[in-house]
Amino acid sequence: MNQAENISCKGRHLLDRRNFMRSTGMTFGALGFTQLLASEEKANFSGKTSLRPQIDPNNPYAPRKPHFPMPAKKVLVIYCPGAVSHVDTFDYKPALTKFHGQKPPGLPAVTFEGPSGNIAKPFWDFKPRGQTGKMVSDLLPNMAELVDDFSFFHALSTQTSAHPQGENFMNTGFTMEGFPSFGAWTTYALGSECSELPAFVAINDPRGMARSGKNNFGSGFLPAAFQGTDFTAKNPPSNLARPASYSANDDRSTIDLLKRLNSKHLEQFPGDANLAARVASYELAGQMQMSVPEIMDLAGEPESIHKEYGTDTGSDLKREYAKNCILARRLIEKGVRVVQLFNGSDPSGGNGITNWDSHSDIKDTHAMQAEIMDQPTAALIRDMKRRGLLEDTLIVWATEFGRMPFLQGNGTGRDHNPGAFTCFLAGAGVKKGFSYGESDEFGFKAALNETSVYDFNATILHLMGLDHERLTFYHNGLERRLTNVHGHVVKDVLA
Amino acid sequence: MRFSFILASFVLGTALPLAAVDYEKDIRPILEERCLDCHGPDKQKSEFRVDQRAVMLIGGDSGLKGIVPGDPRKSHLLELVKTDDEDEIMPPKGDPLTKAQIALLEQWITEGAVVPGQMDAVVKVTSDLWSLKPVVRPAVPEQKGAKTPIDAFLLQKLTENKLAYNGAADARSLIRRAAVVLTGLEPTPERAAKFLADSKADTEAAYTALVDELLASPHFGERWAQHWLDVIRWAESNGSEANLYRKNAWIYRDYVIRAFNEDRPYDQFVRDQLAGDQTGNGEATGFLVAGPHVPAATVGREPTAIRQARADRMDEIMQTVGASMLGMTVGCARCHNHKFDPISIQDYYSLTAVFQGVEFGGRRPELSKDHPRVQRANELYPKLNQERKILRDGIGVWEEDNGGYTDMVFPNTTTQVLRIEFDRPSTFIDELEVFGTKDFKENLAAARAGTKLVEDPAMADPGAGVEKANDGEYGTMVWKSKAPAGSKSKPWVEIHFPQAHEVNRFRFSSNREYYFETDYLDNGNKGGKNNFPGYRILAQQADGSWQEIGSTQQARAALKKPALKAASERLHEHLMALSEEGPRHSFVARFEKPVVTHVLSRGSPENPVDEVMPAGFAILKGDLGLDSSAPDAERRKRFAEWLTQPEQPLTARVFVNRIWHHIFGAGIVPTTADFGKAGAPPSHPELLDYLSAEFVKPQDKGVKPWGIKDLIRRLVLTDAFKQSSAPRDDALHADANNALLWRYSPQRVEAEVIRDSVLQASGKLDPTLGGRSFRIHNEKKTYAQWQVIDNHGPETWRRMIYQERMRRVDDRIFTAFDFPDCGQVSPKRPVSTTPLQALNLMNSDFVVEQSEFIAQRAMKDTGNDVSASVKRCFQLLLTREPDADELAASVELAKANNLHLVCRSLINSNEFAFLP
Repeated sequence: MNQAENISCKGRHLLDRRNFMRSTGMTFGALGFTQLLASEEKANFSGKTSLRPQIDPNNPYAPRKPHFPMPAKKVLVIYCPGAVSHVDTFDYKPALTKFHGQKPPGLPAVTFEGPSGNIAKPFWDFKPRGQTGKMVSDLLPNMAELVDDFSFFHALSTQTSAHPQGENFMNTGFTMEGFPSFGAWTTYALGSECSELPAFVAINDPRGMARSGKNNFGSGFLPAAFQGTDFTAKNPPSNLARPASYSANDDRSTIDLLKRLNSKHLEQFPGDANLAARVASYELAGQMQMSVPEIMDLAGEPESIHKEYGTDTGSDLKREYAKNCILARRLIEKGVRVVQLFNGSDPSGGNGITNWDSHSDIKDTHAMQAEIMDQPTAALIRDMKRRGLLEDTLIVWATEFGRMPFLQGNGTGRDHNPGAFTCFLAGAGVKKGFSYGESDEFGFKAALNETSVYDFNATILHLMGLDHERLTFYHNGLERRLTNVHGHVVKDVLA
Repeated sequence: MRFSFILASFVLGTALPLAAVDYEKDIRPILEERCLDCHGPDKQKSEFRVDQRAVMLIGGDSGLKGIVPGDPRKSHLLELVKTDDEDEIMPPKGDPLTKAQIALLEQWITEGAVVPGQMDAVVKVTSDLWSLKPVVRPAVPEQKGAKTPIDAFLLQKLTENKLAYNGAADARSLIRRAAVVLTGLEPTPERAAKFLADSKADTEAAYTALVDELLASPHFGERWAQHWLDVIRWAESNGSEANLYRKNAWIYRDYVIRAFNEDRPYDQFVRDQLAGDQTGNGEATGFLVAGPHVPAATVGREPTAIRQARADRMDEIMQTVGASMLGMTVGCARCHNHKFDPISIQDYYSLTAVFQGVEFGGRRPELSKDHPRVQRANELYPKLNQERKILRDGIGVWEEDNGGYTDMVFPNTTTQVLRIEFDRPSTFIDELEVFGTKDFKENLAAARAGTKLVEDPAMADPGAGVEKANDGEYGTMVWKSKAPAGSKSKPWVEIHFPQAHEVNRFRFSSNREYYFETDYLDNGNKGGKNNFPGYRILAQQADGSWQEIGSTQQARAALKKPALKAASERLHEHLMALSEEGPRHSFVARFEKPVVTHVLSRGSPENPVDEVMPAGFAILKGDLGLDSSAPDAERRKRFAEWLTQPEQPLTARVFVNRIWHHIFGAGIVPTTADFGKAGAPPSHPELLDYLSAEFVKPQDKGVKPWGIKDLIRRLVLTDAFKQSSAPRDDALHADANNALLWRYSPQRVEAEVIRDSVLQASGKLDPTLGGRSFRIHNEKKTYAQWQVIDNHGPETWRRMIYQERMRRVDDRIFTAFDFPDCGQVSPKRPVSTTPLQALNLMNSDFVVEQSEFIAQRAMKDTGNDVSASVKRCFQLLLTREPDADELAASVELAKANNLHLVCRSLINSNEFAFLP
């Protein structure tokens, strides 16, 4: 444990909540970094020096300055587990119609699930949308209306064709497990603008967690303070509520005694930042007990909003997802730094399909998944725009890979395609109505301006004002980064 | 990788190959014009230079040989000048080399890459890295006031910095500290009271006795095993998509606990974990497969993905061995030479060659005769046989349900053909086996024993032929047989032995792989219940006729007799006990015949280059005298021997430092798993070497080499450990991080300490040592996430090290306290403070219930006196009495609300969470 010699307040004063929130004592160590300073600036492969966030142990979530000013202060990640078919949504490939039913030369005989079949035209018609005339399929009619605000990446490629590794790669920058998620890195760097809610919230799909589970929003080897807190519009974080057997007075009295005990203990260790930080964490927990139920309560939202998001029409899953979308907007409005919203779960959940993994009957299964995603997601983005939230919020819509231009042996589904897929960005700092990169004529491989997942993540960090080569954390011999030792910022999509 | 050049013997007379290309005329101008600026005397980008033939031979950071005389195809330099990859091509700027230039280089290499005057030059790898230098025992400094050599080293540094130790810690702080550090549990109030009293009489003697008692406690092993498990990210599930449970993986955890408790010397501890199959501790090889892996079923069918997955599994083993035993970041040399340390890509792949025979999976561990599991089995075998005798005498035919497979025992019968006839129209079997009287362990039905199976051709399934039932492979590749619709016939199988045997036992299963390798799936594979329909076993007579020798009907009918039924029930109880407590198939690694190992260029399994032999690091004389034909077991054994040689510089330093880290809160080398250049240097290098030297070759009589308890004992008996943790302004100013140990660093205790100490305070802690992990999760579908369903009930009241550990699953209480997710190695846990910790410790069912239990216990202990019971709660949780103010406030709360709220406050207090 380390000493916060420059914390001015001590003893009983430490119990004053406002003191905590104001305190700017710059001390390392409560989070276990200090012994490693000796190795600072040695191990960064980029040749750039590391920029370590200055963590105040009193409040690890205190807002911190980015590396350079950028408009985006918050980020909403809409993650679609299972792999959305780019050739059936946003990546228009007329050649698929032309060669429909044929076996094109040069495409592989065996893909992830086994032998491959013939080329298949898109299962939905494409039409020009918006002012830009961007071709988008009828699968996502509501989201299609908003394309003038998006920057598409059409030449993304990844390193794996397995879902969990793909999710890990997209969300943590490594195919293996145990690395900090994008949200954890961002929270570690920037803290939070909001003192009464978790800095990083993961909203899982109504059917449950995605295949990589908590790894998608975990803190890996970063301090646990920076992990995502998961809750949905329906389920609060675990242990949030006062136990049923206790009255409000029981709770207050427990806390009063606790304060007395801690205050006496602090007198023996004056100025000890770790002890003070722990007292502060109880204050924050107390606030969360009030603010989280408040933010989850959608009853105060006008009917028009419920209608727009679709909380009362369509499938049960869509209604629940729509509520999660409203929750996401409310969290962003409150200043939560990172909100990660999932549209899909692991293969065990719900309605016969559980995510975008359409190995068979893609016509039906993608349609079922689209029904859940399209209207609520479009409403969320539109609503955020209307409220001006896109001025300082970045939106990331992502999936782990694409799907094949040809069918599987079964003739009804598309297999995994790590060679080309589409994601998009929107909002603060992002060019509007823009498409970057191209896949080949079949959408099989990235062709022009191939973008790695490292590049994509480097770009997202850049949009948050963070240099992906300088945001590091020492772990087991290396200054670790979200982008490992790779990644280039795609400057073309910057507004 | 840093190397230095030793350019030897420029003498004339070395015979030069006859060459058409002239270096001076044809080659040197190309190299000077296009390469030398970046790869010459001024700059050596990627540690490569073209003016030194010897450097070109070994290559740069990529680890790939720049030129291979006579073999242009293997020469990386040529590859780089010829590629059309924009990111790779050399030179990176300007036009590529012309075809004519490339042709010249190619020919030059073909002709032997002659560089006159440099033909005998070699590059010798050396390193000035401190941790690779031999351990040299330093003299213990003369230091006034130092009671132990360790204190002498520490006080010397403190004195140099005009600092000194704090005064001694008070007795209460000291017993809390010693108890938690050594056993992970707070002291009981009774033990604390005794220590306080004894200390008054003789401080020194009281403390020594306490330390000896704690070191002898079985809880010592539980505490220290957890530290080791953290480093190697051991867990009981695979991770990845299905995150399946690894059945019986916990026997490795029990091995680690036992090793610490029995004070197994560290060199043996290392040998067991690398080659326990050869030391009688087969379960210790669970170490090798401690990390996560992606099972074949979720890798996909692309051959490239399958190869990549295997390479990833090897890398997990490298990380485990590297972080825990070597203290080097071996993984950094997977794609190119290590950037900081003298580990080449050849070193990395030579190390993978050591483990090339290891695969993630299970086997029946090899255990010595004195292993507790073997001893337990030896207790059970006579009991089993006793019941079997009753059944044999009473009926002669009975079934033994072993969970995942079923045996039918029948009277000894000599025959060359057995026939099994099934009662239902369809059946499927992954493996069937027959055992006889000659060797009760030899499967006579195996194809490799020459036995052939025959099925009814009318019921054959082409994709699931009968040969699947005796191919020696358990799992989903099964024999299926189904009667055609409308047919009254039923499946059967004939087992044709190559010659007649006396047989008495038939064994079969539907998916023994799932039964052996995993558990807790709600897909009907719970404990692998077979639910087979009835069947009969017939033996062919000399005249070709069939005689029934056993049937389920017969076996089940016998169970109507009470005496036989009771015998069968007892038999099954013993079988269950045997499978739980005896040796059994466990997820502790599977061993295979190793394939030839190659360096993988840029880490890609698609680019194998040079063959490498199993070896340790070249810079540490890692040659094990093995080649690619060496059997798996020999590789691991020799590597373990190499690693535990007394002169190995890393082994002892890394381990001694790790122990120091867990006792003082930070290592002498703060980066406990990285003793390389990117890690931190030691704060007290002489002390580290003194401890390492003493560890390997103790000068004290009566101290055994590599003795872990002795080492720990030495450290906790120092004044450094016994001093107070109080802050001091002058010292804080000079050394805020306490690197010099002017005080004992107060620290937040780990998740386990909080949880286990609460259970101890409530009196609910079940101290049973070892065994199956207690469950907190559901039974799940194969591709679903584990859900926590009970993290607080009576079944969970054991020490947390026994809590079922699924990778990356949050236990919804204590994971929030920086409990590792077991994805990456965790040489030291971060310590963070979050509101989720507060919520979990205030509101979880566990804390609510345990608060009530503690309150109940206190009331009972004190005859329901409120004031006395408040005092008792303080004793139980904080090892002290409340002061007047605390007592008054607590009594008020207990009276107005409830005593258990006082306990809830105490559990949440900083004092409970921080070690003084």
